Amino acid sequence: MSIWLKNISKTFGSDSVLTDVTQEIPEGSLTAMLGPSGSGKSTLLRIIAGLEKADSGLVEINGRDVSSVPVRGRNIGFCFQDYAPFNQLSVFDNIAYGLKVKKLSKAQIRQEVAELLALVRLDEYADRYPRQLSGGQRQRMALARALAIKPTVLLLDEPFAALDAQVGAEMRQWVRSLQHQLGITTILVTHNQSEAMEMADQLIILNEGRIVQAGTPAEVYESPKDEFVHSFLGPITTFEGTALRPHHLEFCDAGQGVGVEIVDVLHLGFEVRVTVKSSDGALTWVQLTHDEAQRKRFTNGDFATIRKRIS
Amino acid sequence: MKRSPLTLRVAVLTYVGLLIGLPLFFVFQQTFSRGFGVLWQALNDQQMDAAMILSAKVALVAVPLNVLFGVGTSLWIVRSPSRITAVLDRLIDIPLAISPIIVGLVLMLAYGQNGWFGQTFASWGWNIMFSYPGIVIASIFVSLPLVSRQVIPLLREVGTHAEETAATLGAGPWRIFFTITLRSITWATAYGVTLTLARVIGEYGAVLVVSGNIALVTQTLTLNIGANFDNFNNYQGFVGSAVLALSSIIILSMLSIARNRERKRHEYLA
Repeated sequence: MSIWLKNISKTFGSDSVLTDVTQEIPEGSLTAMLGPSGSGKSTLLRIIAGLEKADSGLVEINGRDVSSVPVRGRNIGFCFQDYAPFNQLSVFDNIAYGLKVKKLSKAQIRQEVAELLALVRLDEYADRYPRQLSGGQRQRMALARALAIKPTVLLLDEPFAALDAQVGAEMRQWVRSLQHQLGITTILVTHNQSEAMEMADQLIILNEGRIVQAGTPAEVYESPKDEFVHSFLGPITTFEGTALRPHHLEFCDAGQGVGVEIVDVLHLGFEVRVTVKSSDGALTWVQLTHDEAQRKRFTNGDFATIRKRIS
Repeated sequence: MKRSPLTLRVAVLTYVGLLIGLPLFFVFQQTFSRGFGVLWQALNDQQMDAAMILSAKVALVAVPLNVLFGVGTSLWIVRSPSRITAVLDRLIDIPLAISPIIVGLVLMLAYGQNGWFGQTFASWGWNIMFSYPGIVIASIFVSLPLVSRQVIPLLREVGTHAEETAATLGAGPWRIFFTITLRSITWATAYGVTLTLARVIGEYGAVLVVSGNIALVTQTLTLNIGANFDNFNNYQGFVGSAVLALSSIIILSMLSIARNRERKRHEYLA
């Protein structure tokens, strides 16, 4: 189901959290709302779910204005950053919660929960309690619980922020493929740009309560609309007074660019960051691949020449 | 686990032994000193039995009311904080901070025959003071915050995400309250109930003032014990004390079972 956000504004007291937000979320897509903390992205998610009321504007789901529909009537799957487990209920009963509300028969509940447990690979854990699960397992339980009601829309608030790096990376891939498999319109809120780039079909960049830019990750990365998006999405450096991506610089033969002194070489696996100082003292850093750096064999104090890559 | 130093262990055991162990032993020793026949007679003392029944009747009303009030207040204070709840939050602690005798006198001032509300009630033929309702009011007053003081911190800790998730899953407010909220505060409430119960049946000062201490009518078990000692009827006083001490021990055991179960849950599930 597609979602339309139309002119949504929200203030808390005298703080303006969201200002005139208008955006379409296409059906079946995975959209990432990306922004620094305080950009209003979580509030926007809560407004879509009905957990918060917008001061003005409306939310349309599949062409229908749901602004006056209460949370429980919206049929939206929502996962909190802390997974909000029902700690007093077993994994089975957590997942069955929404089905019991719908007054499904016991046999039907058992069958559907079993399918969901298989889907999120928690078959063995039906009788456990949430506190006995790892972070990743708890998250999968929360996802299964949300999916149980066959939601029209799935909303994920910072879903990977509480996981350690490795589990987070696995979960991202898994959630991504699950979303593709189910084709359910999904919005993910995150402050982590690589997470957003990696997962999303569509990126929405928020800053100070406004949508700054929306588009595919490639579009937004390649043609950032303003300085904020530029600096927020991926690394930037300055060279001869202009901001640019560090991989848009390269080393060249003397006379074909600007003479600089090498001040630092950082090896980060595949990537190597070389910090250089130009004659006026300005620092710039250049991103090289490991192979490129191997060929150059820079050490601190060396002199070199850099220029913009000719693409 | 590391062993505590010997001196510390000896000091603590001596302290607890002298203050709690010895008097408790003495109460039971006195109670059984005259044999079971005499004890049986004492247990069937008309005044003491009436007092026990009255104490139970008071607890039966005061405890449930304070549980309802305590859970309700906690929800209000934690879930919709405002200036009113900020005042309320401080106000409900007052009963613990002031002396029970003052509680009794203030209630007398308000509900006594010549009191502010007392006159009105009296004109309707209701006597609050020197009767059962007065004892219940005093008991409620002195144990007012015991439930909410347990429940409020826990409600704050569990937050609202589980409840909000339940709402997205289609649950209405009552279902959310009974399946999510109440289940998360069950043990804290149980703890509050035992504290309240112990406080209600053990209260002396406030009840002494408002009840009039009339044997067979408005004399609770604690008042009965006091009266027996005052009248040099020491043996009967010890028997009453033993009954009260025993019920306290039972309540405390219930409490520790509740706490253990809660702790086990947390350790096991952590």
